[in-house]
Amino acid sequence: MSNHRADGGEQYPAPPPSSDELATMSHTELDALGAHMDETELLVLSQAPPPGSIAEKRAERQVALCFGLATVFALAFVSVFWGAGWFLPDWEYEIDGSTFGSLFTPLLGLTMGAALAFLGIGIVLWAKKLMPHEVATQQRHGGASDPVDARTAGGTIMAGLERTGAARHNIVRRSLLGAGGALGLLALMPLGGLIKNPGRGDELMKTSWGEGIRLLRDDGTPIRPSDMQPGSLETVFPAVEGGNRQADAATMLIRLRREQVEQIEATPGQEDFGFQDYLAFSKICTHAGCPVSLYEQETGRILCPCHQSQFDVTRGASPAFGPAARALPQLPIEVDGDGFFVARSDYPEPVGPSFWNRET
Amino acid sequence: MLTLVVTGGLYAAMAPGSVAEDAVDSTAVEAGQELYENSCITCHGANLEGVTDRGPSLIGVGEASVFFQVSTGRMPLARQEAQASRGPVVFTDDEIDQLMAYIQANGGGPLLPSGDLRDGELAAGGELFRLNCASCHNFAGRGGALSSGKNAPNLSEASDLQMYAAMLSGPSNMPVFGDNQLTPEEKRSIINYVQTLDESADPGGLSIGRAGPVPEGVVIWLLGMGLMLIGVFWIGSKA
Repeated sequence: MSNHRADGGEQYPAPPPSSDELATMSHTELDALGAHMDETELLVLSQAPPPGSIAEKRAERQVALCFGLATVFALAFVSVFWGAGWFLPDWEYEIDGSTFGSLFTPLLGLTMGAALAFLGIGIVLWAKKLMPHEVATQQRHGGASDPVDARTAGGTIMAGLERTGAARHNIVRRSLLGAGGALGLLALMPLGGLIKNPGRGDELMKTSWGEGIRLLRDDGTPIRPSDMQPGSLETVFPAVEGGNRQADAATMLIRLRREQVEQIEATPGQEDFGFQDYLAFSKICTHAGCPVSLYEQETGRILCPCHQSQFDVTRGASPAFGPAARALPQLPIEVDGDGFFVARSDYPEPVGPSFWNRET
Repeated sequence: MLTLVVTGGLYAAMAPGSVAEDAVDSTAVEAGQELYENSCITCHGANLEGVTDRGPSLIGVGEASVFFQVSTGRMPLARQEAQASRGPVVFTDDEIDQLMAYIQANGGGPLLPSGDLRDGELAAGGELFRLNCASCHNFAGRGGALSSGKNAPNLSEASDLQMYAAMLSGPSNMPVFGDNQLTPEEKRSIINYVQTLDESADPGGLSIGRAGPVPEGVVIWLLGMGLMLIGVFWIGSKA
């Protein structure tokens, strides 16, 4: 199968040189022979400057200058790194500290960068100015293997399989298959921790809020109706252990402006959920579960920063814009005997985004 | 009866002082009213009652609100738009004081604090900032967008007193943070935190809005890799 060789077989597989011949050949000749055997031809575009010429001397100086600068910058890096706090000022950065302190990291970067850049520039200049410019061409070889090689390789694999006797030793083969299957099952086990039925135990359906549970600030203090001004918002948490770390219980307590109180159009059946001009809504967006707390007190809108859903507080926090489809659940509130805000019950519906088995 | 007598006695004892104070105040109030009638009356109405679709009533907004709006150049408003934005200050400090006196004299309202507004606790200020302010003003205080063209402004230009006044009065769509919700100490902590944030240097040189590591990474990728690709193509075409 030598017909794919373009120049008719006068090169390889011409008999390769004997070892005696090889021993007498120079590096250049050996290089040319290798290229020849690989069907590679070198086309010299331009020669390197002649040895001893002015052009060569100049190029040598340029390359050496670059390498010299690389050395200088590399040494500068070392002296900045080790010199800081020794013969240079301390490197540690402080507000209003020394200029050197704020320049320390940039100086390290600049010196190392310059050293690498000059090394690279020197190498490129060397290649461009001191070496001949050549283009190499190589013949394309056919892709497929020799049919004899293909058949024998296939035979080697099949004969090897037959020698294992897998076809005959049924019990060995089947027990191995069993072991393989069991190990595959073993590998699937870690996935088990990821698959969980969220419907079990009502986890998604309820929060820690309940009858008589106080509304607390993040620092654990309760809130009186006189504490907030009209047009304000406070993020509140249930008065249970770890309540301010529960992602689903975060609630916005909002005191409306005077003129907004008259505009309230509560969700049907939830007209008495507020307390005077106070309303409490879940802080978890019903679209993708982001915390919504960009409250615009004049427009009475709550904006979700993730996908720009807007909820109208005076209309039961129903969605007014954006991808959210359901209103933010409203927490029924009242004031207890001590004058602090408490919840009257849990949220009437699950908080947060939709999920497949929620009923409302 | 006893209460009445005591109250009356107390009032009589206090009265001379308050008369003297009133005399000083009333000139400022009058000057403030004059300024108001020249610059503010078009939108806020002849008796501070507001004009529908132009400007809200100013009865009871207090001097804090006046100070915030006027000292940041938001008022007088150049034109009606989604939200008043910071601009050149029109009134002098004395004129602002007179306007504040006039508005305060009509319905009262939140008063400006005095003293050092940065003596609060820095770490507590950070906690409070992230809980109450960061959702709109960004965790680095660089501001952010709200609905329909409104925005929460960048806090880097705000002075201590302007921040305090904003928390007290809730300008435009910002919620009000009264002294029972954020105590004066907590407000000073927040101010201390915001101003410290603003004074801290950007170790990388360019802050890119302090938007965080992801946008910084994107910039490095787009700019840095782009430049390197251009370099690669340039070297390739020269070779």
